[in-house]
Amino acid sequence: MKVESDTVLHLADLSNFSISDAENKSLQKDLDGILKYISQLDEIDIDEVEPTYQVFEMENVWRDDEILPQDASRDELLALAKEQKDNQIKVPKVL
Amino acid sequence: MKYQATIGIECHVQLCTKTKLFSEVDNDARGKEPNSCVSPVDYALPGMLPRLNGEAIRLCILAGRAMNCEINEFSRFDRKHYFYPDSPKGYQITQFYQPIIASGYVELPSGTKVRINHAHLEGDAGKLTHFDTYSLVDLNRVDTPLIEIVSEPDIHSAHDAHDYCKELWRLMCHAGVTYGDLYNGNMRFDINTSIAPEGSKELGTRTEVKNLNSFRSVERAVEYEIKRQSKLLDAGEKVIQETRGWNDATGETTGQRSKEEAKDYRYMPEPDLPPIHLSPEFITKESAKLPMMPKDYRGKFGGVIKGDILEILLDYPELMQKLNEIDDKYAILVSNLFASVLLAEEKSAEYLNDLPTAAQLKDLAEMNEKKELSSTATKEVFLKMFDPDMKGKETKTIAKELGVVQENDLGALEAIVDTVLAKPETQKAQEDFRNGEEKVIGFLVGQVMKESKGKANPSAVQEILRKKLV
Repeated sequence: MKVESDTVLHLADLSNFSISDAENKSLQKDLDGILKYISQLDEIDIDEVEPTYQVFEMENVWRDDEILPQDASRDELLALAKEQKDNQIKVPKVL
Repeated sequence: MKYQATIGIECHVQLCTKTKLFSEVDNDARGKEPNSCVSPVDYALPGMLPRLNGEAIRLCILAGRAMNCEINEFSRFDRKHYFYPDSPKGYQITQFYQPIIASGYVELPSGTKVRINHAHLEGDAGKLTHFDTYSLVDLNRVDTPLIEIVSEPDIHSAHDAHDYCKELWRLMCHAGVTYGDLYNGNMRFDINTSIAPEGSKELGTRTEVKNLNSFRSVERAVEYEIKRQSKLLDAGEKVIQETRGWNDATGETTGQRSKEEAKDYRYMPEPDLPPIHLSPEFITKESAKLPMMPKDYRGKFGGVIKGDILEILLDYPELMQKLNEIDDKYAILVSNLFASVLLAEEKSAEYLNDLPTAAQLKDLAEMNEKKELSSTATKEVFLKMFDPDMKGKETKTIAKELGVVQENDLGALEAIVDTVLAKPETQKAQEDFRNGEEKVIGFLVGQVMKESKGKANPSAVQEILRKKLV
């Protein structure tokens, strides 16, 4: 599969990036290479293999439903945002 | 042309756990300051790990059983990626491939069955408020546990869509898995509607109207979509598959941004959360905790309480639980009091949030049965049970303070009757009665009632008088 300019633009859009034409061209080439490299995996027959969802073989790691004090306060967390207003995080208008 | 509508509904239910799905902060943000119920996990700071709340799993089992669903022994979480400021993580943790709740069905009061495809457990997103040039983000709601209940397209009218949503709400409230406060978004509905010519085997193109938060808006939005789509098809145009928004003020839906396709979400297994593996014993044990459901109440009270009254009362699970604790023979009186007195008072919402105890209600019904309270007095005492100054008190105390207890004690009544008969002003009436003037008994009963300050039971008084005036 050849990566087209539209595919790169779509991917950039999903991640909310804007990219220049030059970046688009070079990303087409890079993504193409990555896909070719990864597609070697398609040659392996995995019909009989159980999918691996996680590697630790743990299950049912649950906690109790009890409220605990947190390490960081509201002010500390809000201070991490670029802008805040009325104790909320301020972001450019989105709809 | 005549069309047949096909409707499937997705319903999001916020679970009423104490803490969030993946962090140990307060999950009940009602009336709390923005961003005051937020942990570094909700904020998605680097290195933070989600920690699964076991209570959410238990509530899923109850919610599933309430909808006659099987519970899957294996389930696990996936990441659903999207870029929007309501999610600091940049993805939602959900169950795309292996949900915890398998198929089942919901039976509507009309008897129609709507099959449930599955329901999965996921974290809610934050809340955005939009202003002219910016938006504000409140993360209190991030990772509130949600179950998304996905129905099969078994609904064919706006009316049934309404009834399905309402029945789901009742089931979830009776199961005790949610606060069920629709106004605050505890339950939200997405409706998928398509139409096809009657008799056609193939379904038409569907549209999705998202984020409806009342049964009425569900009904109106479905009605509107059926009309809109019919007009398009009649004019030879096509329905576009899209997400549409509902405007409650205009009663119309309008097209929104095109929906991301499933592949755009780049689902991948959530590596930070080990899968859930429930033993059949655990599922059985937790399922047994399911309280009485609407169908159980209909079975129990169907022959006792009038159908339309029962259907109203079923909206109030706590009330039904109280009714269930009271002796069956008192159920009619108590249910009628709730239906006629409370709901007619138009104070039902505030009243019904803080109910009298089952013992208070039982005492009330008993006093009424023993004729210690007339039917008017019973209503009066009942209303006082909700009065902030009175509510903690025993029924008898309330009745006494109101001075409405009827005197039934024969000894005490006789004493009052004797007092009245000894009064000079009653002598003539007594003589007239002995001479066969039947109607003066009314005058004498009246005198006794007056003497007892209205607390005597009139029929008992008349009986005593007749014995004494032979």
